[in-house]
Amino acid sequence: MKKILQYWNKPNHAAYLMVAPAVIVVCLFSIFPMIAAFFLSLFDVSTNLATWNFVGLGNFQEAFADERFIHSWAVTGLFTVFDVPINIGFSLLVAALVSGVGIRDKILRSCYILPLICSSTVIGIMWKLFLNPNVGWGIYSLSKLGFPRIAIFSDIDLAVYGIIFISIWRGFGMSAMILVAAMQGISTSLYEAATLDGANKWQQFRHVTLPGISSTLWFLLITRIIGSFQVFDLIYTITNGGPAHSTETVVSYIYSRAFQEGSELGYSTAMSLVLFGAILLVSVFLYGRMILQERRDGGN
Amino acid sequence: MRHTYKMTPVQILLKLLSWLFLLFMAMLIVLPILWTCLSAFRPPKMIIQFPPTYFPRAWVMDNFIDVFKRIPILLYVKNTFLFAIVTTVVSLLFNAMAGYAFARVQFKGKNVIFTILMASMMIPFQVIMLPLFMELHFLGLVDTFAGLVVPRFAGVVGIFFMRSFYTTLPKQLEEAGRLDGLTEFGIFFRIMMPLCKSALVTQAVLSFTGAWNDLLWPLLMTNSPDKRMLSNGIVYFVGQSTTNYGPAFAAGLISIVPLLLIFIFGQKYFVNSIVSSGMKE
Repeated sequence: MKKILQYWNKPNHAAYLMVAPAVIVVCLFSIFPMIAAFFLSLFDVSTNLATWNFVGLGNFQEAFADERFIHSWAVTGLFTVFDVPINIGFSLLVAALVSGVGIRDKILRSCYILPLICSSTVIGIMWKLFLNPNVGWGIYSLSKLGFPRIAIFSDIDLAVYGIIFISIWRGFGMSAMILVAAMQGISTSLYEAATLDGANKWQQFRHVTLPGISSTLWFLLITRIIGSFQVFDLIYTITNGGPAHSTETVVSYIYSRAFQEGSELGYSTAMSLVLFGAILLVSVFLYGRMILQERRDGGN
Repeated sequence: MRHTYKMTPVQILLKLLSWLFLLFMAMLIVLPILWTCLSAFRPPKMIIQFPPTYFPRAWVMDNFIDVFKRIPILLYVKNTFLFAIVTTVVSLLFNAMAGYAFARVQFKGKNVIFTILMASMMIPFQVIMLPLFMELHFLGLVDTFAGLVVPRFAGVVGIFFMRSFYTTLPKQLEEAGRLDGLTEFGIFFRIMMPLCKSALVTQAVLSFTGAWNDLLWPLLMTNSPDKRMLSNGIVYFVGQSTTNYGPAFAAGLISIVPLLLIFIFGQKYFVNSIVSSGMKE
């Protein structure tokens, strides 16, 4: 008995016990279904799952020739290009300004994370009515300030920017909260040392705060990009891909082919796998950069 | 840190600008949410009127009465709460443990396991949704509480998040713990868990609100009406072409209030934990 305890108390053995529960859950409920998805993508599956026709890579060929699929990539790319940098930029700025422990910072922080308590359904109906050109208070007030009264979510050119705005509106507070938690983890002695060296606020931020939160920034960057590639729920509750597919992202299109316009489970799964491949490429690249930087910083 | 010195005009301007910016952002967040909450108390006809007003001209409870008549909303609140609290507590423990091991312990196969986990983070839920449903159906777990919560007992984002916090802690901590005769799990529970309180609270808030507001997962995993959850309840009032804004806002407000309360109480703890854990080496 004592031997067993001793064996599992070695750091490199205890580590297995520590990762086991999480790894088992992820394997059973994410990785196993993922492997099953590969098989599903090779078939044309009927609605009731009764007939399975093997089509090999036919579903993938179909996807790359599917104009709606290509277009959904353009929409997703546009979304990512705006959402990720603005979200992280704003949250970094906000976090740097409200990372204190005073009452003002406390109140402001609570404000910024308020969207977190609203479900995407609530956010959807909220903004649809708030920006409704006839009865929405938001558009009404903007029109008083001289802005035109436009129906943002039914405008082919503007709808996608409306969604991007709401996504940033919802997300930047959460990113800021994560960054604040990281900033408060930085030892105060580092700031004291920097002040003694005569560093001003900006130099402190640049040489103490930024290195101190770099692993958290990487976390945000990677998860935000993955999240943007998978953006779905806001679009589902606000425009459902319209008008004229102008806000249809990759996952929206996959969802509609799987559940709304006939259930082409095989084809939808094949498209999801293309998305997965793209996300994998981007993340492996970013993850590699992160490891490189952690090694470099670990050296000094 | 506390030097008293005269601020230059540039510094005063910067301070003013930052105040304006922070205030503007706060208004941008609060105005639509408050307007929606107020709208729940408007008479149904006055929600859709021109010109719109910020505060209701008349306060009525019609929308709430409508919600209680049409869906068992209190049951939905209970179901949602159970789902959120169980998944949050268990996943917090599992994720923190795994994140700690990945960040600070060297063990065989670590990089391989971590890379596989990372890869699974990139799987859109929609990809595995159908195979996962089939799997749980095969296991007889569809429409059960276990089927709803067990797949949510760990999350790669959570593991990754905790890992990024544990990597920033000073290296001597474990050695000090070992010298004091703590076991490996003792080091984790006595030293590492308390040190990452602010990260844990952050993750608890994210996990709880995520579970509370999840739409697709409960929709997929529950069939019987008595197992449905809040977000499904709100969708009931949102049609593809027309939306019953009055009851939808009322149901939305009912779904927001419990989270808001947890949030207000959590905030106190949140700030305290950050102050007390202010990790000085």
